[in-house]
Amino acid sequence: MWSRLGSRLRSWEGLLLGLVVAVIAVNALQTPFYLRLSNQINLFTLSIEKIIVALIMALIIINAEIDLSVASVMGLAACVVAYLHAQGVPVALGVLAGLAVGALAGAFNGYWIAYVGLPSLAVTLAGLIGYRGAARILIEDRSIGGFPDWFNRLGQEPLVGPFPVSLVLFFLLLALMLVVLHRSAFGRYVYAIGNSRDVARYSGVNVNRVKMTLFVASGFISALAGILLAARLGSVRGNTAEGFELDIITMVLLGGVSIFGGSGSLIGVALAILLILNLRNGMSLVNITGNTQTGVIGVLLILSVLGPNWARSLQERLQRSRRQTGGPGDGATRGAVPK
Amino acid sequence: MNRLWKVLSLLLIAVFLLTACAAPAPPAAAPAEEAAPAAEEAAPAASEGAMEEGVDMVLLPKFLGILVFDQAHQGAQEAHEEIGNPGKLEFLGPTPENSVQGQIEIVTTAATQGMDAIMISNNAGDQIVPAAKAAKEAGMTVVTWDSPIPSAEGEDFFVAQVDFDETGKVMADMALDILGEDGGKLAILSASPDAANQNAWNAAFQDVLANDPKYANLELVDLVYGNDQSEDSYNQALALVDKYPDLELIMAPTTVGIAAAAKAMQDEGLCDKVKVSGLGLPAEMVSYTLNGCAPEFALWSFKDLGYLTYYVTYLLATGQIEAKEGQTFEAGRMGSYTIEKDPTRDSGLRVLMGPFTVYTAENVEEAAK
Repeated sequence: MWSRLGSRLRSWEGLLLGLVVAVIAVNALQTPFYLRLSNQINLFTLSIEKIIVALIMALIIINAEIDLSVASVMGLAACVVAYLHAQGVPVALGVLAGLAVGALAGAFNGYWIAYVGLPSLAVTLAGLIGYRGAARILIEDRSIGGFPDWFNRLGQEPLVGPFPVSLVLFFLLLALMLVVLHRSAFGRYVYAIGNSRDVARYSGVNVNRVKMTLFVASGFISALAGILLAARLGSVRGNTAEGFELDIITMVLLGGVSIFGGSGSLIGVALAILLILNLRNGMSLVNITGNTQTGVIGVLLILSVLGPNWARSLQERLQRSRRQTGGPGDGATRGAVPK
Repeated sequence: MNRLWKVLSLLLIAVFLLTACAAPAPPAAAPAEEAAPAAEEAAPAASEGAMEEGVDMVLLPKFLGILVFDQAHQGAQEAHEEIGNPGKLEFLGPTPENSVQGQIEIVTTAATQGMDAIMISNNAGDQIVPAAKAAKEAGMTVVTWDSPIPSAEGEDFFVAQVDFDETGKVMADMALDILGEDGGKLAILSASPDAANQNAWNAAFQDVLANDPKYANLELVDLVYGNDQSEDSYNQALALVDKYPDLELIMAPTTVGIAAAAKAMQDEGLCDKVKVSGLGLPAEMVSYTLNGCAPEFALWSFKDLGYLTYYVTYLLATGQIEAKEGQTFEAGRMGSYTIEKDPTRDSGLRVLMGPFTVYTAENVEEAAK
């Protein structure tokens, strides 16, 4: 069973990789601006906060949970920074407070999910509404900006070679998550719980602690992403980051993570991120507007769900007809056909 | 592997088809690529060459799907053809629910594409500043129209449809006209808190109401935001009526808000009690004006605004004028204008278009045609 699952994932990732290569090729052929380094950096920067959160979201969905409150936590953390700044608190302290609020929000979610046993869908839906409400109460209908230069530079200027801090953070976090999920005991627990909570518990895994850790991490990372967004935009509103959760979950699912938990990999998610960002960027560069972009990505998601099923039935039909006719080309392909 | 390749090639084909179908752009993109080497050859001729090559310009509305922005686009196209600019005029906008992120993305992408100028109706407040600054650093001309950058950072100047202080006066006069000398309670239904134009108008309106004894009997009870979304605005209008049972007037300085509020009052049969006024489009408001739900409203021509914006942006991008106080210029059929200090912001320059037209049952049908 494990090996079959493994091969399915490998082929899914292979497929995503093929698509990414295809999109990159089409983009490069269609517009000369695409391959420029500045565009390659912009392409990440414009969605950097979403893709940072997508990394932790992948772990949560593999764990057979979901966190719908991420975008609201992003907004809340940004609003906490802005509110404290408006009250005259130094922004550095405000950032720490924002991160703490994010971790607390995550711990609150985690408590109800891990220790009380409520479904994460319901708890984090409440979080989505509640944390957004708190953000709006803090900021009301204002738009707060005027942050000190160092804070704005954090989001807007290249600080590490040509790269902004947020992009470097993303890659560091990706490396960290890869190790945690695929090379550590904690990562094995995440998969095991995602496959079956009961089996994992009877095997001696501390299920509650794993879930709690994941949700606290999700809150903290979302807060970090929200603060980076505030730095990139230079000002904050009550609706900052509103609606981001759907884009984030889309990336994770397109990456081949099963919504029922237990399977998927961060490589797949990283490829899905590359695919969506490059596709959007390419379309923007040839002046295809937002409505069409959303449509194309929607179709891609449907194809990505239909594709594997379709391929399987096609393969079965081909094998059947080949068995009946022993048709031409059989010899040439035999080596490549598994089993 | 065999199966993998089959799926892969199928999906590749799908993607190619998708990008091909979705884009009317490939034909446009191809000449652009061909033009690039041609431009390099022509480069030694003169640096003035930019004028003959044409100026590639982007008209960026707050978002797509609103009639007034399409009208502005028509005006810009008219100027584009009249000037005979061989460059491109692109009308690109975000989706309504993604307005802030989308505007930032479009400004950033335009700079990457080497576009020469962008004309922004800013819906992102000062959040657009980093992107606008980066575009200017990349050598672009950045002009705002309809709604400016509040801090004026990153923009060359703002093409104002009307004087923002005058808007407050016009709205107050309409309110007085509708409510009469003995006055009554009114509320503002605005667009979004990040729309600098809306904020300036609301502030001017509140200022006039508070300080001019003529309007002493007009009592402003609330200010709500419908985010220029019909459904949002509709619900906000109904919520206002619920909250203030003796409300007599909803003042909506946004074409989306005023139409939604008028529809809400009409649907609820409240038009006798609560009137709607503000800034609206004759074509969208004609029925509400004739049936008395919105007896009076005002607006300027968005087509003219698009025309003027295109004209002055082109002049600036080709170096024929400078973005400085006192600079005068001729804008085709619209005549002569001067760039001045923007009195409605702490800093920044503006070109003032004007004037207002007030629409009533007498002239609305003619204008709606």
